This record gives sequence, C-alpha cells and structure tokens, in this order.
Amino acid sequence: MAEKGGKGFSLPPKGGKSSIKSSPLKEASIKGKDDSSTKKKGRKVQFDSEAVNFSSKSGGKDSPTTFPKGKGDKGASGGKGSVSKVPQPLELRIEQELPKNAKCLMACEAAEILEGIQDRMTTLSKDPSIKIPVSFDKGLQYAKRGSHYTNTQSVRRSLETLTKYSVMDGEICVIANVCPDNVDEAFALIPSLKAKRSIVSDPLNDVLIDLAMVKK
Amino acid sequence: MFLKVQLPWNVVIPAENLDAKGLMLQKAIVIRLMDEFATKKATKDLGYFLAVTTLDKVGEGKVRQNTGDVMFPVVFSGITFKLYRGEILEGVVHKVLKHGVLLRCGPVENIYLSSLKMPDYQHMPGENPLFLNDKSSKIEKDVVVRFIVIGTKWLEADREFQALVSLDGDYLGPIA
Repeated sequence: MAEKGGKGFSLPPKGGKSSIKSSPLKEASIKGKDDSSTKKKGRKVQFDSEAVNFSSKSGGKDSPTTFPKGKGDKGASGGKGSVSKVPQPLELRIEQELPKNAKCLMACEAAEILEGIQDRMTTLSKDPSIKIPVSFDKGLQYAKRGSHYTNTQSVRRSLETLTKYSVMDGEICVIANVCPDNVDEAFALIPSLKAKRSIVSDPLNDVLIDLAMVKK
Repeated sequence: MFLKVQLPWNVVIPAENLDAKGLMLQKAIVIRLMDEFATKKATKDLGYFLAVTTLDKVGEGKVRQNTGDVMFPVVFSGITFKLYRGEILEGVVHKVLKHGVLLRCGPVENIYLSSLKMPDYQHMPGENPLFLNDKSSKIEKDVVVRFIVIGTKWLEADREFQALVSLDGDYLGPIA
C-alpha cells in the first residue's frame, strides 16, 4: 500500500495544476477514514497523493497507464457512486428494510397457514363480533396461486441449504415463489445472487432439481 | 412478500365485558385484538395485515382509572403482505390505459406498469385496448403478468401502498 501511495505521489506535476474544488478533498478524507483501520502511519502522505490522483484523473489526458493502478483512483470513483446521484441497482434488499420482529415467508408457507385459518372461518364467521381483515381473501388467493409445491417443508429445507452460501432469506423466498426452471432464470430474476454466482450456481442447481420433484 | 410478524400491542377490554372470568376474558381479548388488527388494515413497515395466527402472551391487565376499562399488554403473531423493491411478483391487469396498465397483486390494488417499462410492447387502441409486442404476446384486461417491483409508496391517508413495476428484463411478462 505504501508503495502505491508513493507511486501516486510522483505525479503531482501533472495533476497539480488542475483546479481542486472541495470534492476531491472530501473524497480524500472519506478514503482516509476507510483506511484508518489498516494503517495510521504515513497516511498524510497518501492523502495528498490521492487527492492529486483524483484531480488529475478528472482532468483526463495524461498518463492513463499509471492511473488504474492508483488506489486513490478507485476510492474516488467508488465514493462518488455511493455518495450521490447514481440510483441503486434494482436488487432485492429486503433484509435492510425488514423490522427485526418480522420474517419472510414463502407463498406456499403463507398459503398453508392462511388456509388453516380459512378452514376455521366457517365457525368463526357465525360470530358477528369477529372481524376478518379486508385483505385476508386477496392475500389467501395470491398465496394459493404462488404455491407451486406439494410439500412445503421439503421446499424450505432444501432452500435453506443455500444460507451457507450467504443467500439471504428474502432471496430464498423469492426463489421459492417464482419457482425458476433453471439457474439462469433464477439469476436473471434475482440479480443480487449474481455476485455470488460462482459459489451459488452449483448448489442452486441441485436445489432447483429438488424443487422440481415436489412441484405440483 | 408474505411476512410472519410478532407484535406487542395493548388491548383494552371495556368494563362491561369483564364480569365473566377465565375463558370469557380470554375470548374478549382475542375478539378485541382481531377487531383492532382488522381496523388497522396496513402499516408502512409491515404492509397489509392478513390474519392473526396466535395469541402468544397476555400480560397483567391494568385498570384505567376513569373508565374502569382494563388494558392488557399482549404479544401475538400474524401474517402480513408487503411489496419490496426488486421483488418478482405476479399481478392481474385490471385497466389498460394509453401509457400503461394498472394491475392488482394480492391486497395491493394500485400497481402501475408504464409503457416505458415494457419497451417491446405497443399500445393498440380500440374497444378493448391492449398492449402487443412483435411476438404477439398480449397484455390486456385479466391477463396475469410477472413483473419486478421498482418502487413503492405508502399512502398514510388511505393506509395503502402504490407500486411501480417493470417488465424490463428476461423472464418477465404475461403468463399463459
């Protein structure tokens, strides 16, 4: 790392002239924060070099060959993306939104529970004081349509093996609900899985074969 | 996405329901809880309320001084349904407009699929307007469409959600 910083440091003559607004400095300080866990000494030097790196990059033109190596370059562009403008990719992030007292259910699991309630409904509905939520019927209908399997427990068991490849619960439920025919369909519909493609692909394929066996 | 939730709530039992003991009180609490659950309809965090599944815990009741009502802290489990960005769902078309279609998906009534988000499809006006692509795949009233959720919006006044969805991607579109 120190070496890279040093490399960057040799560049100032080129980038130095381009006007540095506040943002490169900010980027540099953000970057510095990120680095703080790794090394404290000599950080100051890196700061400077990174700031310069960034500004000369934005200036364009000179010596592109050295820049891709520069660490500051990477940090700067990454920082830019996360700080503003660029919209988040359209990916499933249920876990970030989910309150801790809530858990994702597969449609087939929901269908089982809701159908159980519906069976008791005939006796319940005789009592006019018992109110049924307006969404119950529509929710049940949707759950039934989305439940593609004959055996809910085995679906859950099979899909849960994917958690050890850091597949999230929300992703597992979406896989169960869309019931993909193959891994390509799964990756196309749940792009957040693509980041783990190399490790998830094979186990996912096995799981989909399992699911196909209990498909209605 | 269906959610299994566990919630702590307070249930108030009016004084006149308290004369009987034991089972009757338990029943009064359940009825009151179900009533409040149904009335609430939906929340921003948990989505649409579908059903109470179990009453997990009933705490010690506290008498309210002025009315004599008793308030019981309870913990119960239930099922809700909420749309999430990036989720894949199926909806039924209920209205075809010039610039897109409106769909229903479970308890969610207002899901908009803009024509900009189904670029292969062309609007065909007529008595039964529809959207058609060059593979003769049709999006018209009552057709089931698989889509991806782009965004949702909670409307506090109506206690419901609206959603924007897209067909931009592989394996999305009308389902036979």
